[in-house]
Amino acid sequence: MITPSVSNLRHRPAAVPVVLCLASLFMAGCGRTQPASFRLNTVHATKTTAPEGDLERSWSSWSRERQQQVATILEAMFGTPDDPVALAESGLDAAKLQLAAGPVRSDIVGRKNGLYREHCSHCHGISGDGMGPTAAFLNPYPRDYRPGKFKFKSTWRDAKPTNADLVRVLHQGIAGTSMPSFALLAPSQVDALAEYVRYLSIRGETEAALFTYAEQELSGDDQLPTTREFLIDEVLAPIVEKWRAAEDAEIPIAAVPAGVDFSRPGDDPANRESVARGRALFHGDGGCVKCHGVTALGDGQANDYDDWNKAIVEASKEVAGGLEASRETSTSDMSPDRLAEYRTRAEWLHAFAEVLEGDALRPRMIPPRNLRQGVYRGGRRPLDLYRRLYTGINGAPMPGVGPSGPGGKGSVSDAEIWHIVNYIRSLPYEFDGELGADRPMVARDRF
Amino acid sequence: MGKRLAGIVWALVFLAVPVLGVATFAIAPAFDIWLPKDVSEHGASIDSLFYFILWLTGIVFVATEVLLFWFIWKYDASKREGAATYIHGSHTLEVVWTIIPAATLLFLAIYQMNAWADVKMRRPAMQPTVEVVARQFEWRLRYPGRDGTLGTGDDLFLVNDLHLPVDEDVLIQLKSMDVLHSFFLPNVRIKQDAVPGMKIPVWFKARETGEFDIVCAELCGWGHYKMKGRVTFEPRSEYDAWLERKYAEQQATQPPAESGDLARAE
Repeated sequence: MITPSVSNLRHRPAAVPVVLCLASLFMAGCGRTQPASFRLNTVHATKTTAPEGDLERSWSSWSRERQQQVATILEAMFGTPDDPVALAESGLDAAKLQLAAGPVRSDIVGRKNGLYREHCSHCHGISGDGMGPTAAFLNPYPRDYRPGKFKFKSTWRDAKPTNADLVRVLHQGIAGTSMPSFALLAPSQVDALAEYVRYLSIRGETEAALFTYAEQELSGDDQLPTTREFLIDEVLAPIVEKWRAAEDAEIPIAAVPAGVDFSRPGDDPANRESVARGRALFHGDGGCVKCHGVTALGDGQANDYDDWNKAIVEASKEVAGGLEASRETSTSDMSPDRLAEYRTRAEWLHAFAEVLEGDALRPRMIPPRNLRQGVYRGGRRPLDLYRRLYTGINGAPMPGVGPSGPGGKGSVSDAEIWHIVNYIRSLPYEFDGELGADRPMVARDRF
Repeated sequence: MGKRLAGIVWALVFLAVPVLGVATFAIAPAFDIWLPKDVSEHGASIDSLFYFILWLTGIVFVATEVLLFWFIWKYDASKREGAATYIHGSHTLEVVWTIIPAATLLFLAIYQMNAWADVKMRRPAMQPTVEVVARQFEWRLRYPGRDGTLGTGDDLFLVNDLHLPVDEDVLIQLKSMDVLHSFFLPNVRIKQDAVPGMKIPVWFKARETGEFDIVCAELCGWGHYKMKGRVTFEPRSEYDAWLERKYAEQQATQPPAESGDLARAE
């Protein structure tokens, strides 16, 4: 934006600079802005470019070149935030991506485009890295889509979410977090956003796969293969297949046993026996008390991280350990080769420390849920609670009590899970349990 | 001659202010930027107060602006020879133009008391129909369920999609989870700040069925613009059926039969 210098115009009437300033402000809105671009996952990129053996040149120029290679491949496969590419092999719908991508605008028939930037990017970031401008202020942090892990879904723990799962989260929001509901958007818009989340996720997973491949298979100045066989068949296809398989990976839902009546509140006499059984399982085979605490206030073991934060914590530890060790190493009697290697490694450690400082959010622990607040992130239907209990929460320390895969056996039988669900439903309204009337820890005032 | 022309131009610029000001109001309804349709019982009294004050201030505005134009036109410096005359002013005139606005304001303060009391003080004696909790950036809703009491096990939880019975008093308990928001129903002429830590009652009676906007009228953060909800007024029977349906959905133990684990058919 060009603002005229007021001092040059001082001899003119005062109105002139004011008018020029206003005019330049108006015109600033018309200029073309810098095209948006995806950011690399620098934490993963730096982690996987740890120096090995002897490099012909400085680590930083070598690593920069490798990152540039990956960025070039990714742009060819996925396009840019303004112009996404949906390869046929990715299974993504180009029309939906177009609706969600790019700057906010209306297209030729007056349809709203750029939905992701209108609704999502200020928290989830242009690249879907969960590091938009408002992300640092939120607790929990917005989801980073790039590892391709999602918490609230109907499928087996390690499986991807179904389309309906993503749509449901968009529709309901996530109570207890900063994710609001988008229930009033048109279904076509919600679908487009779900598709775009999948796109960012597949892109992020592809990026990680490329760096991991380079770390394991390439040495020195080797270039990543750019053949179709490698990029599509070897890298992209397995990722896409997992997303496709999600639609058939829904966990089975057991029939509700007798003595469980979800149409009545948990404290209703009709449910009393079932709630008592659920309580016994909660304290016994279910193992829930370990983290959620005997009072279910979430005051059990509470010093764990979710996978997204854990990755940062572990990388930070590795870097801190490496820096500590290098400080204690004496370089005076090293052979020249050893010294070069040592220096390269120190360069990498410092670069990694900088990346963790600048490109990652400060890790936050994930406390176990306080089950007496009556706030359920993945939804409050008995069905939602059943799914959370059955598979646990992918990416979080919450384990499942059901089987870990089809045909397996869980620590609690499928039918018994319903009793635990019933007990959990009763917790916010339990006035005569361990938290008596003298302990005002009830949902009435804690919504 | 140039100075005389400048005087005329400036006078006309000042005359343009009341002309354009009035024209803006005259064409506003044609461009649909005037008051939205009112479907509430008390809205007429709010609107009539609005129009009364608009006419009152409008007439004074036009009169003042025309007078200003006339002074600029008549007492143009280029038409005058000799020095300006110094006058101290008129004590009587100042007293008059102080007392008249003061009396007008006092009159308005008394005249609007009944409308204010209807909206903010004469709360119907009833349990809340629904609790609305504002949050960055959505409206979380809690219905008391069959027992009519909030905070019990049969509460119904929803978000952004408020339904209310038509032709009945409704009492909303308004809260905020995080920052200041403002619960604004333009079609019901209701605007009430939601304040963290306070339960604020809001009540009204809708006279027409239909879907209308809920918007946040207090800048509440980055996502303020998307903090939009929808209120649907419907006859009692439909309202009850909707509550039953939503309650049944909330108790679901199996994925809904239709494709997609989601009942969107609203």
